[in-house]
Amino acid sequence: MSQSQSQTRTRGATAKGRPPRPTTARGPRSGLVISLALHVGLIGATYLTWHRMLEPVEESHAVPVDLVTIAQQTNVAAQAPPPEKITIPKPTIEQPALPAFAQAEPAPEPPLPKIKIQPDKSDKPDQADKKPTNQDFAALLNKLTAAQTPPKNAKTGTRTIQGVGSANLMTASLADALKSQIDKCWSPPVGAPNAEDLVVDFDLRLNHNGTVASLQLSAGSIARAAGNAYTRAAAEAASRAIYQCQGQGYRLPPEQYNEWNEINPLRFDPRQMMNQ
Amino acid sequence: MRKIFLFAALLLGLATPAFAALQVDVTQANVQPLPIAIPDFVPGAPTDAQAGANIAGVVRADLERSGLFKPIDPKAYVDHITNINTVPGFANWRVINAQGLVTGQATLQPDGRLRVDFRLWDVFGESQMLGQQFFTQPENWRRVAHLVSDAIYQRITGEKGYFDTRIVFISETGPATKRVKRLAIMDEDGANPTFLTRGDYMVLTPRFNPTAQMIAYMSYIGTKPRVYLFDIETGKQEMLGNFPNMTFSPRFSPDGNKVALSLETNGNSDIYVMDLRSRAIQRLTTDPAIDTAPTFSPDGNQIAFESDRGGSQQIYVMNVDGTNQHRISFGAGRNGTPVWSPRGDLIAFTKQDGGRFDVGVMRADGSGERLISSGWEDEGPTWAPNGRVLMFTRTIQGGKGAQIWSVDVTGRNERRVLTPGDASDPAWSPLLQ
Repeated sequence: MSQSQSQTRTRGATAKGRPPRPTTARGPRSGLVISLALHVGLIGATYLTWHRMLEPVEESHAVPVDLVTIAQQTNVAAQAPPPEKITIPKPTIEQPALPAFAQAEPAPEPPLPKIKIQPDKSDKPDQADKKPTNQDFAALLNKLTAAQTPPKNAKTGTRTIQGVGSANLMTASLADALKSQIDKCWSPPVGAPNAEDLVVDFDLRLNHNGTVASLQLSAGSIARAAGNAYTRAAAEAASRAIYQCQGQGYRLPPEQYNEWNEINPLRFDPRQMMNQ
Repeated sequence: MRKIFLFAALLLGLATPAFAALQVDVTQANVQPLPIAIPDFVPGAPTDAQAGANIAGVVRADLERSGLFKPIDPKAYVDHITNINTVPGFANWRVINAQGLVTGQATLQPDGRLRVDFRLWDVFGESQMLGQQFFTQPENWRRVAHLVSDAIYQRITGEKGYFDTRIVFISETGPATKRVKRLAIMDEDGANPTFLTRGDYMVLTPRFNPTAQMIAYMSYIGTKPRVYLFDIETGKQEMLGNFPNMTFSPRFSPDGNKVALSLETNGNSDIYVMDLRSRAIQRLTTDPAIDTAPTFSPDGNQIAFESDRGGSQQIYVMNVDGTNQHRISFGAGRNGTPVWSPRGDLIAFTKQDGGRFDVGVMRADGSGERLISSGWEDEGPTWAPNGRVLMFTRTIQGGKGAQIWSVDVTGRNERRVLTPGDASDPAWSPLLQ
């Protein structure tokens, strides 16, 4: 813009008798400042937006190759097996026509929290220790196995939802609701000697109706599973749990879909359970 | 005006999109056996139908016995496999809650061998997880079934299987006044029990060589208890060393080339290691207490043993050259009969406390001690070659005989091993070659 002003045309009113501002190639200072500010803004915004996508390069494990010779038998793959893929493709979900005996009856679910959206009364945006006063929500917390204890000086206040930065919302209730629906289907290989081999992370995306849209192991878990049979077994057990327990779709509040459409990471960690 | 526009543009550039990915940690589980469907193997020709049914039956029994799988009753199947080279209709297997599906085929070849193919399918993922093919003599069909079970077990759990193994044990028959104890061997599932000795002399504590079909045990052929080596394939027996005194409690090193044993001199027992090829013998302990029951670590660098040098039987560990002897058991009661897991992570042992005998495991540094058997008199553990399952002797209360029981290292799935009559002192073979 400063270039366009480098004609010898005076700008700015001379009505008040002030000398006209210079319009030479040096240009008004403000142009340079604005340009700099915009560049900083663009770079800053790019960084803030995309820095989360930068991940440290995971150390990749060499994939062991077994050469097996068996004396009396030949071990020939009956068909060329597919390469060891850990990314789980979306299966075609068929609606079974059989009656309920084919499905395990799930325990009655506690009532979903009813979240009231209040106008923003509180001034500070990032208070993570706010708790909703809604009674249904408190009942849900009480019934869950991993009870959330509020921090010491927690203020009970109204729940607020903000447009920008909704990642700051307290989503513990959604996490617990999903956890309690998955964990009854999860059967990890608990006989493994090292429980930390069994920790695996997924990126799960859900459709509006709560069914699985896509399920992907994290890059780190893929690398570990390639080198460790227990990790692979753990990843497969967790994946089976996610598909087995979805039923007609995970039961989560539809009006909060934008908060639970992606779960990343969805971590399965049996160490506490295995006392390791 | 332009300034307002510029400022607005600046703000727009700084606004970041809302990243609303939920983070969830699943830490509680519901450990259950995996529901799996294993239909009878498809016969290549109608005459193969019995072989196909037999093999599938053994695979179902193996996987069920491990406690980690739950084969679905074939009567509940809604689909029928007729061709293992086509992709199954997974919806029909999901409907009966199968998470795994095994399809197989058995075909007698023109050259007289039996060919067995199988595929393991992931029902949710609708993909093949494993596919293998075996050729063998038809009378070996049980071994092939166990190899199929081992392959499925390993693919799902990440651990090596243990179904293609055998158990050596002491079989007890006859009336209480005239008990006949014979060395016997059977398949891990209890099939094909065979007596190896006639019962003329007493045989105790058999132990398997980890690399060969050979057993070491203690016997009273003469008047003194001595260690003998027994070759299962030839049936030949030889005394280990020519010691004037009693020798007992033999155990092989992981490479099968050495035997650690206990030698008694004037009421004092010490641990020695004998090289089977050179017959050279090395003494490892010199303590005046009773040192016995040596067991090698799977890397061959250490030996755990039982000693009462501290006043009561406890478990000690030392280097394979006898240095650094230190105690590792500090729990209640007396702790003995240590057996190092083939996986190296744990040592199984027998705890005697308050009149009870229990089988437990602890880590090699003595930490993490826990009991895994629940009977009144359980003792003498032996590990499966994958370090996941154990067998032990359970004496029925009231002295009403002995039985062999198995249990998972997590303490789950405790169940009786069927034997012809009473049985004790189980020793688990390595995977058959």
